Amino acid sequence: MKLGLKNISKSFEVIKALQNVSLEFHKGEVHAICGENGAGKSTLMNILTGNIQPDAGEILLNNQIVIIQNNQHARSLGINIVYQERSLTDGLSVAENIFPLPPTKSFGRINFVQLHRQTKALLRQLDIGEFSPETMVATLSPAQKTLVEIAKALATNPAILLLDEPTASFTDKETTILFSVIRTLKKRGVTVLYISHRMAEIKLIADKVSVLKDGKCQDTLSTNNCTTEDIIRLMVGRDLQQVDVATHSSEEVVLSVKNLCGKGFNDISFDLKKGEIFGLGGLVGAGRTELAMAIFGAIPANGGTILKNGQRIYNRHPKQGIANGIAYLPEERKTLGVFLQKSVAENIVSARLYGKGYNVKTNNQKAGEYSRTLNIRSSSVQQLMSKLSGGNQQKVVLAKWLNTQPDVLIVDEPTHGVDIGAKLEIYKILKQLTADGKSILLISSEMEELLLLSDRIAVMREGKIKGILHKKETSENEIIKLAAQ
Amino acid sequence: MNSIKALLFKLFFIVLLSACEAPPRTGGSGNNLHSTEIITVDTVSANEEYVMITTAINMPMYVNHDQAAFKMWAKKMGVKASILGPSEWDIPAQIATFEQVIPQKPAGFLVNGTDPGIAQVINKAVDAGIPTVVYDSDIPGARQHSFIGSDWYEMGRLQGERMVKILNGKGKVVVMGILGMTNMEAGFQGFLDVIKKYPAMEFIGKYDDKANVELAAKITADLIVAHPDLAGVAGFDGNSGPGIALSVKEANKIGKVKITTVDAEPEHLQLVKEGVIDYLVGQKRELFTQMGAQMLFDMRHKTIAFSKNDAKAGVVPIPKKIITGSIEIDKSNVDLFIK
Amino acid sequence: MIKDRVVTLSATILLLCIVMSFLFPSQFPTVDNFSQIMLNLSIDTIVAVGMMLLMISGVFDLSVGSIVAFSGGLAGYLMYYHDVNFLVAIVAALSGSLLIGFINGFLITKIGINPMIQTLAMMGVVRGLSLMLSGAGIQNFPYEYNYIGQVKILSLQSPIWYMFAIVLIFSYLFKNIAFFRRYYFIGSNEKAAHLSGIEVEKMKLWGFVIVGLLAGIAGILLSSRLGAALSTSGKGLELRVITAVILGGASLAGGQGKIVGAFLGAAFMGIVGNILILTRVSGYWQEIILGIILILAVGIDQLIQKKK
Repeated sequence: MKLGLKNISKSFEVIKALQNVSLEFHKGEVHAICGENGAGKSTLMNILTGNIQPDAGEILLNNQIVIIQNNQHARSLGINIVYQERSLTDGLSVAENIFPLPPTKSFGRINFVQLHRQTKALLRQLDIGEFSPETMVATLSPAQKTLVEIAKALATNPAILLLDEPTASFTDKETTILFSVIRTLKKRGVTVLYISHRMAEIKLIADKVSVLKDGKCQDTLSTNNCTTEDIIRLMVGRDLQQVDVATHSSEEVVLSVKNLCGKGFNDISFDLKKGEIFGLGGLVGAGRTELAMAIFGAIPANGGTILKNGQRIYNRHPKQGIANGIAYLPEERKTLGVFLQKSVAENIVSARLYGKGYNVKTNNQKAGEYSRTLNIRSSSVQQLMSKLSGGNQQKVVLAKWLNTQPDVLIVDEPTHGVDIGAKLEIYKILKQLTADGKSILLISSEMEELLLLSDRIAVMREGKIKGILHKKETSENEIIKLAAQ
Repeated sequence: MNSIKALLFKLFFIVLLSACEAPPRTGGSGNNLHSTEIITVDTVSANEEYVMITTAINMPMYVNHDQAAFKMWAKKMGVKASILGPSEWDIPAQIATFEQVIPQKPAGFLVNGTDPGIAQVINKAVDAGIPTVVYDSDIPGARQHSFIGSDWYEMGRLQGERMVKILNGKGKVVVMGILGMTNMEAGFQGFLDVIKKYPAMEFIGKYDDKANVELAAKITADLIVAHPDLAGVAGFDGNSGPGIALSVKEANKIGKVKITTVDAEPEHLQLVKEGVIDYLVGQKRELFTQMGAQMLFDMRHKTIAFSKNDAKAGVVPIPKKIITGSIEIDKSNVDLFIK
Repeated sequence: MIKDRVVTLSATILLLCIVMSFLFPSQFPTVDNFSQIMLNLSIDTIVAVGMMLLMISGVFDLSVGSIVAFSGGLAGYLMYYHDVNFLVAIVAALSGSLLIGFINGFLITKIGINPMIQTLAMMGVVRGLSLMLSGAGIQNFPYEYNYIGQVKILSLQSPIWYMFAIVLIFSYLFKNIAFFRRYYFIGSNEKAAHLSGIEVEKMKLWGFVIVGLLAGIAGILLSSRLGAALSTSGKGLELRVITAVILGGASLAGGQGKIVGAFLGAAFMGIVGNILILTRVSGYWQEIILGIILILAVGIDQLIQKKK
């Protein structure tokens, strides 16, 4: 079966997620799709699975125009997806998970004999011998669960299978097993759309690779005659935006992290200087967020020391982090950053609920001031947070943290899901803060952002700092190489 | 300025304190009857309403006996009968219902004496001048105009005497019911006072079945295992009998473990007919409510007067206490009770 | 306006009262009747204030009804069987209630037991304890003890005043004190609250302690006003109070609700109960009607939200 996309476009409010994307996927090929965060990969997948409808363009299945109405419809057309987040039920066996509608006998009794036979056959086809149909899913490793997911998707006999970052939590050995399963699928004529960041994997398993950037398809290459550098060049390389990039960094060390260890990161040391923006680069899952949370006090560190202005500090709870002049703007704004059902003013004061009094009037005044200086667009400070756009929500979260008067501001993906206008505004605010003597630890998966704002960049991979680069002496390619190997 | 404020403050507190109205010191005897005037009316009207305040209003024994007789009486007299209370056994809810009906001043209250905790609200009704009769169990500390019910000591004594008789004066016996309830405890005492007189009778103990059939059955089963020579069990709440009978049947001890118990519901009667239960002491529950309501009516309408103004003179023109007596049932007369 | 439950519920209560005053002019709108309604809802409201606090932070407590029985039972037990001074008995009962709240909170926040399971289990444990203490019931308390719940101030019985005091105090606290304000943030987004420096677990622990204390106070007032510690005290109170609090604007998801809503919810239920007694509707109907009202209130809310 041949699947084609012709001039697909999709926008969310002001963000152009996909612009005129045309792609072709052929029977029995493994086709990798890569791009930075926000390049449009997930939008593309959601369109293919019918979760969202494109604003313009056509989807062609064997040269016939189809409109994929919803997930179920996609499945009936032979398109199935294995998501990053798992959809398995831990309390049931492998077989029951793979067949949510099992074969039955009279009175709706489950025919377990047939169910297990069916499952066994399916697992054999995929050459999976590590677990049996009766195994409880709860006892499986994350990688094995992914294999169950794949088997579950294959139970519907799809012609096209989408895999979304399947190896995110895999060891090398598990990756090898997955790849042999993918090769088996290929032999059976299934088209696999493989979404991944990892260059090495793409070279190893994919026949073709299509690169997305800023919602546009850069090019489709054959993996046999291209290099990793070629792919990286397509992913990055764009015009730098005009932001005042003058450095405000001084030589005075504000925060010194020494041999810090914890869950997800190991032996981390660096100094943050006054007025500096220190970038933390790396792939998703490299341990940057965990490191930031440990410095802030949101998760415990197991070893190492943190010095603030030469004094040792212990942050065991965010409360202490705040008291020690550290603020943390979290990555997942909706789940960790904001109180959607509370007002703008309440959100701004939410990190300073100390002391005895809570005075609505002074809170509103303060919120009003921040609204003006950060240019937060809301009908009033009483407006519910949920009514604001992503960019304005992010500015409210920034205001919330500035309200704690921090010396060190950790910002984790500050421009995620934010339109380009707000993005520039946030850049300006961050630069202005360093001019005012604050120090910033910037976590970003967007190379351009990292290079534009940071004075120095530490690249992390698998929980360790692989190198600290000076902005003037480095390039995107160097960073990606360090981060992705 | 400050001193004025302070003065105002003091004044405020004085007003507040003087506005306090202390509750009466005792819940006790009837000597302050003089202070309240009973509401009396000369003519009988179809709108006059007699209110039964009870709890667990759907309990079969209450529905079939108390409530049925009360309704029948009201129909005959051409007055209104209302039955109020929570659907479950919930004393605070019974009290709350009672308290909310008092301000409406119905013609009379017929109160199920469920728990000593309702004494205060009974007194409230009496103080409001509403004729109030308590039935079933007497409430210590309550100043109701009349009480009508069974003599539980007597019910215990009757069971004790029958038990001695069918066991020929010797054997191990136990009693079962709700421990701590005044009427049950009186029944236990009546039973014990008889047993004590016979040295060959051995009393093993009192057991709490919480008026629960399963629990009564479980206790009996355990007792039969612990005392293979157990000779008799006496029950004191409506569910004791069926529970005891169940375990005696299951242990194949019919006739070997004698059962006497209270109440004469169809279930109990059937068990007597089967020969599992040997003896029943029934209450005359219909009399509680029918006579109780009649007393309320007589009080309201001054059927009998002992003075020019009984209320002022401190005379309550109805009996202080009526003991309805018991119904004794065994195999010889059980057929006459089965409907 | 229509979104604020305090406004809609107040309007509903007012409307209900007006209609009833026309239907039962000599019985419903009397001082006697209203003071009686208030007296009966005072205990529920005091517990409901605590429940509102918990539900704002996104949890609830099923053991409150048992704590009400326990607190009155313990005080009664000490005074009746051990001749303990009434003040000492009250302090002991309140400390006991507080301790139960602490145990609930500790096991939920430190060990991680689900709040519903923990408080459900505690409901049984504490009910058993109070039956052990007070058996079939205890009467004949010292006069001073009965005075607490039976004294009338300005012809209203004291529990009503306690209720108003507690509602006013907690309304003030929830508006003006940062500590209490944090519960809204916890209920609205627990993870974000944690990252905002709020000690979520400690706050929740305190929440259960406060609820235990309020239920304890309610238990003292109930037994003192009845002059008896009843074994059936507080039976079904937990569900009644949760119903009242939801009617008053709380949501099971948390982050929503005002303290005064707890009072209004309880008041609404109290008035409905009074109407059913006035109209001589059978006890079965009370539960049916309250169930329907709850479904209506929450259902209409959902419909309004969907339209928006």
